Formats: sequence, structure tokens, C-alpha cells
Amino acid sequence: MDDTTKRFVQRLMKRIPAPMLRATLDKWDRLTREQKKSMDFTQSKWALTEKMLAFSEENELTAKHLTELEMIYDAHSVELIQFKEQFKSHLRELVRHVSIKIKKHTDEAVWIRIAWGDAFTRPNHLKPTYVVHYLHSPYVFVTSLTLKQKPLLSQALVLATRYQAIKDANLSGRKLTAIRDLLMRKYQQVFPTKYPSPLPENNQNPHIEKEQAEPAANRLQMACEAFGSGMLPQLQSAVYKLETKFRDHSNQTMSEREEPFRCVVKFESTNLLESLRHCASSGIASTPVTPLLSCIPQKGRNYFVITDNGPGPSARMRQPQN
Amino acid sequence: MSLLKPFSKLPGLNSANILLVESKEEFQQSLADALVQETSFTVNVRLAKSLPLPMENEESRPRIDLVVFIIDLTSGLSFQSTEASLKCLDPGYFLGKVCFMVINARNAAAPIERLDAVRKLAASLHCPLLFTEDQTPDGVTNATERLLTILKVAAGFVPMATALYLSNLTRSTVSSDIDQPSFD
Repeated sequence: MDDTTKRFVQRLMKRIPAPMLRATLDKWDRLTREQKKSMDFTQSKWALTEKMLAFSEENELTAKHLTELEMIYDAHSVELIQFKEQFKSHLRELVRHVSIKIKKHTDEAVWIRIAWGDAFTRPNHLKPTYVVHYLHSPYVFVTSLTLKQKPLLSQALVLATRYQAIKDANLSGRKLTAIRDLLMRKYQQVFPTKYPSPLPENNQNPHIEKEQAEPAANRLQMACEAFGSGMLPQLQSAVYKLETKFRDHSNQTMSEREEPFRCVVKFESTNLLESLRHCASSGIASTPVTPLLSCIPQKGRNYFVITDNGPGPSARMRQPQN
Repeated sequence: MSLLKPFSKLPGLNSANILLVESKEEFQQSLADALVQETSFTVNVRLAKSLPLPMENEESRPRIDLVVFIIDLTSGLSFQSTEASLKCLDPGYFLGKVCFMVINARNAAAPIERLDAVRKLAASLHCPLLFTEDQTPDGVTNATERLLTILKVAAGFVPMATALYLSNLTRSTVSSDIDQPSFD
């Protein structure tokens, strides 16, 4: 490798900040697995640079390959920087005293910590709001946000991300990874099939026979179609707010009333989707799975308002924040 | 409605068939695995969630020598499902070819009323009532042994003993003060 290329590599390694180095190298994908393993990202930049030079020699990388690396880093960092600046400036415009800290994780997630203050008080660090935004997705996850702060945050986000509007997804839970996986469908899906493959019952003793094997297999298939097979993201609750007319023929006084009967049904569990899937596969809930339940993973929400007007769970959305 | 009949088919050579009915479908699997370990004769186990059994299997199904209803005392659904399933059995089975097996009787979540109801049910049908523990391998082995004892007689492997004779010795009874409130 000639001198100019060597200097180019050294300068490039200086530019790329340590937290972004691994992600950028992975995207570049020109190092072998052993080489990647031997890069210890806790060492100093200088040590890493020496390693890079050695690997580039080993792999006989030309200047062209190395410029690819620079391009990847540049393209990647530009959007992040833009978002950061825009968001900070917009929010600062709206709220005078606010403390914002933005950090990027390796998996495309941008974490923002906001401590709110107003014209007279300093930012309150004891009750911060956390916002997580996945850069290439239209989703934002928020914790601890009061009603007053909501429109301010929404406006800053909409302007910084250059979308048109922001609206409530009606999904809440205790684990960020779980609701993220649910929204982005990152769990194992099962597709409806007319001819399910024969179950591998080889390990079953020939002397043991299940009488109702077929209905059980059908229930399992339908349960998995609605909720997916394998590990499911952990949701803790689902809330249905009913505003429908009371329907019970045996109770005249209640059924005669004109106004809708308001009632809230809440399902709670350590892993709600797992329990619902089990209810369907064991026959406790009738199959095919009712859309009221299957729309939790389908639409990625767990708060529903059900009125008489629409078919099925006609969800009324809250006012779009703008 | 098709009833399950005890003597409408011919028996198999040196084999006995047992039907385990359990609403939850958990214990029956480990019990089945243990039952087929028996070596002195062939044990065929059929598993079902409830009765009536599907018509499609009518042809291939062998003669069932013993029907065991597994009731989980902590689940109301289990008891209700058993009661409904009993209606699909031919009365001929109740002459010693039906047995009730109760699990989770020691669980604090099991209401006393349900235990009394199960005992009354078993007594009124003149069937044996077994209490077993399903969580440990010892419990499963124990349950298997007791079921095999009854199964051998019900399938006719024990000379001079019939299922009806055995049931007279093993059937559960309830004392007349079962309806009195208990002291706890």
C-alpha cells in the first residue's frame, strides 16, 4: 500500500468517532470475520488504525475500496446530524429552558433525554422525558410525557423528521424492545395456508394416539396465524373501552336505555400475546381468532375504543398532533 | 349422538386400550408415556380432550377397556367438561370400566365445594376415585401403577376377576355428612 493511501486511512480513522466505527465497518463488509473479531473497539484509535492498515494489506484493498468506507460513514452521519440539529433548535424555540441530550445507539436508534423547564424555572432533571426514534422508521417511542409537553414535543419531532403529522399509535408497554418488535413485526410470522404441512410426529410412540389431533392442529394453526409462532414480544396489557349499547335480552331496563353503556375491559398478563395465543390453541377462545384480539399484533396497538358505528373494532383515533 | 360402547368390538390379543380424557391435555401426555412402558402386555393409550370422540376415528379405534377422566381441581372448566363428557359414554362403561383421577387436590386454589362435588359424582356413578400428584416423576409412576392395576382387570388379564367385581371393592363412597360444613 502506498503512502498516500496509508495517510488516507489514518485520516479517515481519525474522523470516524469511536461509537460509530463498528457499525460503519460492518456496513462496509470488507473485513473477514476473524479480522472483525480481532478488532477490539475499546483500544485506542491509534491501535485500531494500525490494525486497519494491516488488514487492508492482508486483504489487498485498493484505494477504491477504502473510499467506499468514507462514503458509508459520510452518508450515515449526515442524516443523524441533521436530525439532531433540527430537533434541538425547534424544541429550543418552543420551550425556553430545556435541556436536551441526544445519543445514538448502534442499532439505528436515537435516544433523546429531555428535561423540561419553563420561562421561570430551570430544567427539572428529576422528571425527564425519554424519546427513542429509529432513524429509518416512522416510529417514535416516548415515556413520561405530560399533556402540556406533548404538543411541544410533537411539533419539534415533526419538523425535525420532516414528516407531515404525528399521531398516537395507542400502544403502550413496559419493554421498549417488545413494543418495537411488535410494531415492526420482528417476531416469527405464520402465513395462512390451505394445506398445512404434516406435523413431524416421529417422536410420538406408536402406541399413543390422539383422538382429536386434527382439530387441535387446526386450532394451533389459526392461533399462530393470528399471533405468530415462536417467541412473542412481551405486552403487559390490552384495554378495550366500550361505548356500545347494552345488549342482553334478559335485562329489559338496561337494554331500553338510549345512551351507550360505557365499560372498560382490561386484559393483563406478564406476556399477554403468549396467553392469548394459548387461549386460542387450547380452545378456551374460539377459533378463528376474533379480530378484536388478533388486531393487537396486526395493528400494533393495545388501546381500543369500540363504538357501535363501525364493523369490528372501529378505533377512534385521538386528534392528530400537529 | 354416538355413545362410546364397551363391548361392540373384539379385543386385541394380549393388549389393553385405555382412554385418557383431560380438558387441559397436560398430565395425560406424561401419563401416556409412562403407561406404554409396561412390558407384560401391550398398552395402547388414546388421548382426548373431551367426549364425544370424532366420528372419523370410529373405524380405526380399538375396543376401549378403561376410560379415565382426569380432573384438575383448580380449574372449573375441567370439572364442567368432564360432566359433559360423561353423557357420551354408554352406561355399560360404568360397570367398572370408568375411573376418575383428580390432580392438584392439595392446591390452595382448589375450592372445597368442587372436591365435594367430584366425590359425589364418583360415588353416584359407582366409580373409583384416585388422587394423584402430577408434577413429579414419582407421582406419575405412582398414578401409572394404580391405573395399570385397574386396567389389567378391566381388560380381562386377571383370572377370576372382572371389572364389575373389582369396582365393588374400589368404588368411592361418600359419608352421609358430606353436606355438613367442614371445620376450617
